[in-house]
Amino acid sequence: MKKKIAVIGLGNPLRRDDAIGLLLLQYLQQNKKKLSKTIDFIDGGTSGMKLLHLLGDYDTVLLLDAVDFKGSPGEIKKFTVDEIKNQKIQVFLSTHEPDFLTVYALLKELDKAPTHLVIFGVQPKDISHGTRLSQELNRFLPILQKQILEEIQLMIES
Amino acid sequence: MSKDFSVHVEHVTRVEGHGNIILDVKNGKIEKLQWNVVEAPRFFEAMLRGQQYNELRSITSRICGICSIGHSLASLKATEDALGVKITNQTATLRRLAIHAENMQSHILHIGYLVAPDLVGAGSVFSMLGKHTDTVLKIVKLHRLANEMSDLICGRTIHPIRLVVGGFSLQPTEKQLIQLKKRLLEAQELTTELAPIILSVAGNLPSFTRETEYIGLTSDEEYSFYDGDIASTDTGRHPKYQDYKEIMQEYIVPHSTAKYAKHARESYMVGALARFNLNSRQLHPVAQDIATLFKLKAINYNPFMNTIAQLVEFSHSIQDSISLIDTLVDQGIKQEKPVKPEKKAGRGVGIVEVPRGILVHDYTLNSQGYCTKANCIIPTNQNHANIQQDMEKLVPEIINQPEKEIELTLEMLVRAYDPCISCSTHYLDVSFK
Repeated sequence: MKKKIAVIGLGNPLRRDDAIGLLLLQYLQQNKKKLSKTIDFIDGGTSGMKLLHLLGDYDTVLLLDAVDFKGSPGEIKKFTVDEIKNQKIQVFLSTHEPDFLTVYALLKELDKAPTHLVIFGVQPKDISHGTRLSQELNRFLPILQKQILEEIQLMIES
Repeated sequence: MSKDFSVHVEHVTRVEGHGNIILDVKNGKIEKLQWNVVEAPRFFEAMLRGQQYNELRSITSRICGICSIGHSLASLKATEDALGVKITNQTATLRRLAIHAENMQSHILHIGYLVAPDLVGAGSVFSMLGKHTDTVLKIVKLHRLANEMSDLICGRTIHPIRLVVGGFSLQPTEKQLIQLKKRLLEAQELTTELAPIILSVAGNLPSFTRETEYIGLTSDEEYSFYDGDIASTDTGRHPKYQDYKEIMQEYIVPHSTAKYAKHARESYMVGALARFNLNSRQLHPVAQDIATLFKLKAINYNPFMNTIAQLVEFSHSIQDSISLIDTLVDQGIKQEKPVKPEKKAGRGVGIVEVPRGILVHDYTLNSQGYCTKANCIIPTNQNHANIQQDMEKLVPEIINQPEKEIELTLEMLVRAYDPCISCSTHYLDVSFK
């Protein structure tokens, strides 16, 4: 039987703003008491195909990742998979593996895709090699953390 | 036949590694042929400098989403070598299980999702669904088991956390290991079913050969993944592991930002075929049966057979994992605390075999236990020169084929090496002038 909800953070902490999904995940884990339902928090790192099986285990999956949607650095946007397909935005899970849509499409074909899948994308400024966030994302981090917590609280309650 | 054409294959993802194939032919003569790697500079070594010894593993495990266990183990071995830490037998056995889990994960991904579409003439794994759904489901099942195995041994599937300096932060229980063994036995049956399916399309692998040097770890005790001496099919064993630079001679070429490597010849190969060529006599009989099925014998000089060597290794990893679990259960699994370092300064070298070949981490730590110097030699970079040499022999042999076939064969060659960039080759933009 499928489990209920997973929040999966994606990204590489060695590529500056690409770590934003993981940092938001850590914040949610620290504040999990503020979230009313049982949620699994998963650090998905930079693994593409390994997520195939993780995603398939849940009814609802919320992904946190750095997404280049040509917004302002630190801007947050909520997408469904259909919206991503239509807008042709590439959501990368890894520097080495197929993009997210490839993994999702395979899950769909195998009839194992989660019923609900929402991606919270944060526009990065700098994804070069390095361990520190860009100044912009670092400045927005506390706001992003609050925002993502509220968004997820709302989604779960509805 | 005289003809003019160009095959330019470019990688278009946002990845740190870009590999391009450039072939220009005029009047039937090759004017330019290059395997062109334009990786962005990697600063991992710089990121390690200034970090404390017990932080190095977690940083290096993030270098690669596929080989995070391998990087972790090379990192731990280097740190422990520098600090004189002697791990227990149980830790060594559990680490061998971890490395098998990663080998299985990576190999089945490459065989099933990346090479199988070429063999059945499909554009991608999706195009295999329908006619080959049953095969895809077998692959997905085997991939899942490998993921769950690394989850159990290393604490999670992605970027391990239980592997620490001196041992493990937590060990699996006997009950969990017995359960894992049961599933590994099922996986071996599934692999035996998968082998003839792959054999039925393996005729589509080009029958190309080029003599080259193969380098990997070797040991008297086992088919090496976790430990052993550096060995070459040309020059034999080299027990002085700290002098690895004498074997892996890195150099720079103008058309590539990635380092190339050579040893006794102009290039060498690392990875599953190299390990097979060095150590095939130590494979478990069930894995040897699969090699026999594909008529794979050491020394095999066909790089396209690397995928078949991966299948053979996949089966070996399952069988060896079963033996390792039996040992752990017989001896009784203990919750051991990690061994503490006795000193803080020193230089250490850690070498392991990861799915794509031999991987080296080399650290120097100061008296406070902070890293002052680091060097990592990655398998994919060691294969670049060999890919170039293969292409130079291969293209004249296939130059009269249609351009599309030449292009596909060259792409298949690159994919056979399973470089970290191979995943993106299915999404290439290709243009003919």
